[in-house]
Amino acid sequence: MTTQQNAIDNAAASSRIRETGIGWHKALGAARRLGGYGYPALAFVLLFGGWELAVRLFRINPLTLPAPSGILNALFSDFSFYLDHAGVTLYEAIVGFVIGSALALIGGVLMAHSPALERMLLPIAVLANVTPIVAIAPLLIIWFGFGSFPKMLIAAIITFFPMLVNSITGFRSIDQNNYEYLRSLHASKAEIFFKLRLPNSLPYLFSASKTCITLSVIGAVVAEWSGADKGLGNLVMVFSNYMQIEKMFAAIAMLAAMGIVLTAVIRIVEQRALYWHSSTQTREG
Amino acid sequence: MTYISVNQVSKKFRRRGQVTEALRDIAIHLEEGTFVSLIGPSGCGKSTLLRIIGGLETADEGEVLVEGVAPLEAQSHKRFGFVPQAPALFPWRTILENMRLPFEVNRKGGRQTPEQTEEAKELLHSVGLGDFLNAYPKELSGGMQQRVGIVRAFASGAPILLMDEPFSALDEITRERIRYQLMEIWDSHKKTVVFVTHSIREAVFLSDKVVVMSSRPGRVTEIVDIELPRPRRHELEETEEYLRYVHHIKGLLRERWEH
Repeated sequence: MTTQQNAIDNAAASSRIRETGIGWHKALGAARRLGGYGYPALAFVLLFGGWELAVRLFRINPLTLPAPSGILNALFSDFSFYLDHAGVTLYEAIVGFVIGSALALIGGVLMAHSPALERMLLPIAVLANVTPIVAIAPLLIIWFGFGSFPKMLIAAIITFFPMLVNSITGFRSIDQNNYEYLRSLHASKAEIFFKLRLPNSLPYLFSASKTCITLSVIGAVVAEWSGADKGLGNLVMVFSNYMQIEKMFAAIAMLAAMGIVLTAVIRIVEQRALYWHSSTQTREG
Repeated sequence: MTYISVNQVSKKFRRRGQVTEALRDIAIHLEEGTFVSLIGPSGCGKSTLLRIIGGLETADEGEVLVEGVAPLEAQSHKRFGFVPQAPALFPWRTILENMRLPFEVNRKGGRQTPEQTEEAKELLHSVGLGDFLNAYPKELSGGMQQRVGIVRAFASGAPILLMDEPFSALDEITRERIRYQLMEIWDSHKKTVVFVTHSIREAVFLSDKVVVMSSRPGRVTEIVDIELPRPRRHELEETEEYLRYVHHIKGLLRERWEH
């Protein structure tokens, strides 16, 4: 059990918990009673509690590593400020994600239907994928300026490839019996696409989306580093230049929170859309 | 005029320079409303022949006519109800939605009438799936899924049912039960069925005509008319007449082996 493993590694922290009167066994018991959320919650408490304690006990310089309490303090003393900048980054990431996904789907449809087109276009997509996006960002800033557009573009480029590959796989990996069944009814290519290929690709697309939504945030942040006057990436850069480490961590915390929320949103939509996909027990009969 | 006629059909497969002769000079004539089985060892081209009749593949030589037209044209008029080896049920559709599928595509070829929706439900009830109309395929066992596939073919409005070893993935007990259910449904619908199988007992029990095939190249060894009384129920499988047909066909298949 990883939680337990963590605890053993974190012997110092756990012994201190015992000193303060919360027995380790009691903590584990409480975690168990909380069901699915108990263990992760316990792990987070241990991680951030341990961090807080370590900073206080070892008197770590807040310029090196601020305590979680200091970071939260920085964050909530000026929350609307961070929220404004988060809004900018979120907007760039989401618009980029949507554009990149849309283009990938169109490309996926074309390539899934035409092997010739796939052979022509896929190498270009691979080339775009292997080129480190960080290297293109400054160029795009030169071309398109300090506004939101180059950030969206980078988020879109970063989203494009995983979505493309997964959509091609999803459109192609259809059940052969289902495909032949539609053919036996003289279904058109469009009908086969909408009745079979598209629904079949949904698990692949959602799996790619979960990766790509976080990637698009990374893309937006990296682009902001290269030149921006707004956004969380920009804040991280500015605060690091001024050695305001607590505020820098506050911006990073916002980024992490953003990633969590975006992934959670996709997970919820996925559970709604893929009601048929999760493998449950079959009935005998 | 014969309902489905297969005239001197040949088919070769080329794969990596190797040519396999799947079918050579096949000639069969099928009457409307009869149950015909294609039987033979694996590799005898029985599935290929079925697929050529259904317009899923084309013959290299020869001609197939279904109701007087080419298979592809018959297909465009939705004359075929296809039952592949694995039940072709779409996992994101409920059982009833899967039953509706043949009416949703190629609408020029025909749409679903309210009577047909009722018929679909009745047929599902008759094979014991009345409680699963709104269930998803994954909630059904393999046997239940295949029953849906068969019932869907009967309820699709198509007069010709093409079944490609529909029972091959099922265990013996399930397989027998579905065989008897298929016979009951067929008795009340009298559609033309072309049924590919490698079970001799199944073929004799179900068919009016059994086309015995041999492999490499796939050819017709003999066409056996099964003159057993209908309706056929499981007691038939104990009778001497039935067993005589089984032995006869077994003999035909063994003869080909020994060559």
